[in-house]
Amino acid sequence: MAENTPDADRGTVELDGVSKRYGHRHVLRRISLRIPQGEFLVLLGHNGAGKTTLLRIMATQVSPTKGRIRLFGRDPESEGITARRRIGLVTHESFLYPELTVLENLQFYGHFYPVAESKYREMLEILELQPYAGLRAGSLSFGLRRRVDMARALLHDPDLVLLDEPFAGLDERTAHLLGEYLDSLKETGITLAMTSHSPKRAVLTCDRAITLENGSIVQDLRYAA
Amino acid sequence: MPRELKNIDNGYRWSARLYHVWLLAEKDLRSEFRRPYEVISLLTFSLGAVLIASLSFGGGQVPPEMVASLLWILLLFLTILTYTTSFARESDRGTIGGLKSLPCSALAILGGKVVYGTLLILLVGSALLIFTALFLPFDLGGRYAGFLLIYALGATGLSLAAAFVSGLVMFSEGSTLLLSFLLIPVSVPILLPAVRATTGLLVGTAEVLPALQLLLASLGLILAVTLLTFGFVLQE
Repeated sequence: MAENTPDADRGTVELDGVSKRYGHRHVLRRISLRIPQGEFLVLLGHNGAGKTTLLRIMATQVSPTKGRIRLFGRDPESEGITARRRIGLVTHESFLYPELTVLENLQFYGHFYPVAESKYREMLEILELQPYAGLRAGSLSFGLRRRVDMARALLHDPDLVLLDEPFAGLDERTAHLLGEYLDSLKETGITLAMTSHSPKRAVLTCDRAITLENGSIVQDLRYAA
Repeated sequence: MPRELKNIDNGYRWSARLYHVWLLAEKDLRSEFRRPYEVISLLTFSLGAVLIASLSFGGGQVPPEMVASLLWILLLFLTILTYTTSFARESDRGTIGGLKSLPCSALAILGGKVVYGTLLILLVGSALLIFTALFLPFDLGGRYAGFLLIYALGATGLSLAAAFVSGLVMFSEGSTLLLSFLLIPVSVPILLPAVRATTGLLVGTAEVLPALQLLLASLGLILAVTLLTFGFVLQE
């Protein structure tokens, strides 16, 4: 899990005055935030508040227009590949290739990391996906695809897991399974950042909830363990 | 400065880069052959075009210049057809986000597309050569190695240019239309020497070497532009 680096105690994610603009539209305004290792953070806010953009900046998918970001104490602008080795990302868009089977999809992504062959079966088992391993991803329901996406993002035992609306559109059973799995992840000391529309569900499990409005942080609440 | 150029990521060795390129290309090839209608449509297009050309010449001898031009025009269209669904499909499906989340460089992602596209074009191009040999007979006079070299270099150059343009326009509304329009002028420096070298080989003149040198220079130029600028293309 966590790499034993001199930067380990400096926080997994550090944002300092981060702003993001698309043309004339300001999506994020001077966000400063530190997420220590092992924290489970939830980003709350209405549509367009900037949650997804903030998460994508943490995932090195998007560069900030202004400000500085550090991941594991390092600059992702110059060490993006090193940072991405330690990040698992699930967005509301599936990253699966519909022509490939579930197992082939996991193997495709897994081969970019040092992932043991047994890990694929293990992830399929944890997320109750074994019966679907040989099926093409394109033939799966939304909920199943979301579970495969979760397995894909966690294959390489990332230190930082970023989840964009992981419960959106899921049925009760799948949401429950996913919730239980997130709880078990929390116990491993992994750092989690998740966006959510639903404060009720999020607050039940998180250590900290940040509310965004028009690209700015308007509330930062910490919850006792 | 593009992220690619100032990347100081530790441990990202050339062997890892090449392995990543192969993983990405293999994924695309596997996906491609799971929906064979696209390959079949490429083959049908090649056969149809050669047959029409053959019929228009009444099945008789076709001037070598015409054979060379037809071959490269068809290869250009095969390249356009191959790459209209390359990066655009990743963008439409959202899987480009998955590629960007991987611990590999933007150039490895591009490299994967180039390898996939080149292999596919060479495969369909081989069928095109067979169709051409059957319906528009040409005489190479034993200069097969030279012909294959020009064919491979030209196909690689077209593929590299198409992959770059395809990446450049993937987030645009009319990305498939833009690819067709932009690739034609970009591929001219590849097409002209390729046609001239192929004609030289078919006729048996000494014009081949200068055309081959020009083809190599064009390929080098497109490669240099791609290496220097592709880091920007995937940036948001």
